[in-house]
Amino acid sequence: MKLTRRSLVDRALKGSLLCLTFKLGAVSILLTPEEARAQKVPLQVLDDAQARRLEILADAILPGSADLGVAQFVDHQLNADPNEALLIAKYFQVPLPYRNFYAGGIAVAEGMAKNSFEKSIDELSAEESQGLIKEMAAPGAVVDGFPVFLFYMCLRSDAVDVVYGTPDGFKKLNVPYMQHILPPEGWNG
Amino acid sequence: MARVLESVDAVVVGTGATGSLFAAVLAEAGKDVLVLERGGERKLSDLYSSQTWARRLKWASPHVVEDGPDSIWFNFNAGHGYGGAAIHHYAVWPRFHEDDFTEKSQYGRGLDWPFEYGELRPYYDLVQKDVGMSGDAEKEIWRPPGDPYPMPPVLVSNHGNVIARGFAALDMHTSPLPMAILTQPYNGRPPCIWDGWCDAGCPTGALANPLVVYLPRARKAGARLQPDAHVTRVLMDKSGKRATGVEYFTPSGEAVVQPADTVVLCAFTIENVRILLNSADTNHPDGLSNRSGKLGQYLMSHPAIAISGLFEDDMQNYLGATGGQLLCQDPFGKRSDPGGAFGSRQWEIGLALKPNDLLGIAMTRPEIFGSELHEFMKRGARHMGSMVGVCEDEALPRNRIELASEKDQFGYPLARIIYETSAEGRKLWQTAAAEGVKIYKAAGAQEAWHGPQGGQHIMGGTIMGVDPSSSVLNSAGQSHEVENLFVGGPGVFPTGSAANSTFTAKAVALKSAKFMVENWGAIAG
Repeated sequence: MKLTRRSLVDRALKGSLLCLTFKLGAVSILLTPEEARAQKVPLQVLDDAQARRLEILADAILPGSADLGVAQFVDHQLNADPNEALLIAKYFQVPLPYRNFYAGGIAVAEGMAKNSFEKSIDELSAEESQGLIKEMAAPGAVVDGFPVFLFYMCLRSDAVDVVYGTPDGFKKLNVPYMQHILPPEGWNG
Repeated sequence: MARVLESVDAVVVGTGATGSLFAAVLAEAGKDVLVLERGGERKLSDLYSSQTWARRLKWASPHVVEDGPDSIWFNFNAGHGYGGAAIHHYAVWPRFHEDDFTEKSQYGRGLDWPFEYGELRPYYDLVQKDVGMSGDAEKEIWRPPGDPYPMPPVLVSNHGNVIARGFAALDMHTSPLPMAILTQPYNGRPPCIWDGWCDAGCPTGALANPLVVYLPRARKAGARLQPDAHVTRVLMDKSGKRATGVEYFTPSGEAVVQPADTVVLCAFTIENVRILLNSADTNHPDGLSNRSGKLGQYLMSHPAIAISGLFEDDMQNYLGATGGQLLCQDPFGKRSDPGGAFGSRQWEIGLALKPNDLLGIAMTRPEIFGSELHEFMKRGARHMGSMVGVCEDEALPRNRIELASEKDQFGYPLARIIYETSAEGRKLWQTAAAEGVKIYKAAGAQEAWHGPQGGQHIMGGTIMGVDPSSSVLNSAGQSHEVENLFVGGPGVFPTGSAANSTFTAKAVALKSAKFMVENWGAIAG
């Protein structure tokens, strides 16, 4: 299914405005990151270990973001034209390509986990995951020359985007989404 | 070998706030106008109501190298595609004050503009009528002379009213925020429905972005728009006195020469300087319009501070416009800072909040994570208040735009920015941080806090001035050295005020465009 404005609006009315075009074999389909995760759509940029660790970190920052497809959202955007990318990394002027930044951030977090807990991120308890996030969230934190605080901020925003940045997310907060009135024909400037 | 196109009367570089205005005025005067846009074509129907999707409107290309101690937040402030940065701007349009134009002569600080407020006033009045501004001129007690706004002020919800209690308690005045947003039908455009999606681009036509005001006028008058045209240089004749057009590249890398009788650069502050520096030739070894050595200097931002707080009240913070509901310019006096810092400040009160994104609820408290973040989001969605303090940044030559050693895909150097907030601007920001929290407490906030220093707007670099030895452009935005070369946008400002820049950029552009039309024979040759 091609990503069109009409299809976006249709999906928006159903509750999610974070529909992205995922490739399943030779077919392009319009899915939410949550649906892409449930359907096990292959990742394009992150490998399985990176995606798993990104989910653990994001879920420690904002529980529920893994199930809602934060890894699929990030992976999809790492494969996008940077000018069209939806990641907040753009605002933080993260150097391109963003995939290097995310790969670096996950690797540094893995090193921090081993340093602090002598475990991989994969093996951390919930309490230890929170401890790792606390280290990453120290303002201005830099580890091995990598801006780990900036990575935390980006990952935190990614998690918030998939959990609360959609009509479904607004409903959870009990505030109206108020999507715009569709512009009448002739308003195309 | 570059492909050479048919010559036009005027080539305008950039489709944003000022490029669209130049195009409209010149085309309506019967000129053959071509507008080149680096980004893609964009329609109102592309503007989705989502803070996540809004990021498509911002810049990401490796284009600017920021080397100074402070960031000017280029990617957040800039834009690409039809409408440029103005497609996602918040339409907060206070006028600059009279003494913003005379700082050097009046206070011995900063620079003087080559004209005073009175000379610009008619253009403010014309622009506000063009776009259909809303506001209350009488309640805006700090406002310099000007026509009343053509329509009533924007919505004030609990959000604005609750925070206004704090201002009142401290004997500070608030007024409706002057905005380029319709509150009634106007020229076939509908009024705002207060959904707070301004940052994502307004697709209804209520917010006066270029897609609904000046670009339609330009097209109706015959101007043509060319997307995906990456302008690299202004081309000059052998005498070095007249521009002959511009060079641009297509996405496939094809070089194209667009001859023109006049050239107008409206590619935003940084890119205008970059194009002029990259246009260096034997007659202009240090870049075009840089005989003074001032090209790129006096780069300015607005040091900005977000004040957040939690109130017992249901704030209705999801209603309104992204830019806010109310204004306070009590601290606008250049010498009003209690700490003695020079410059102006203002408060924009009651910014519509969304859960996510840079100015969203979540980002106000980055240290919160885990299940506490869910609780914070729920509380914030109902009870958070938001306002932004904007401070003046003193114009300093050390803050500048140069060429970087890194190059773009076409082989031209990127822009390098060396910027550090002026000492005066930093002091004003510190005053604002303390004052903002105090205002919230006076309004009854249960908790109040401020964010880190941010930067709004990017100004300077191609400053206007009377003296060609100390400025880049004359009072008409015309190059001191190349009579058929003009520049538009906030880059032409010699000082930055604390007022938002778009309205003034448009007023100055209208003044320049009318000058071009009235003096066309002498300019176009």
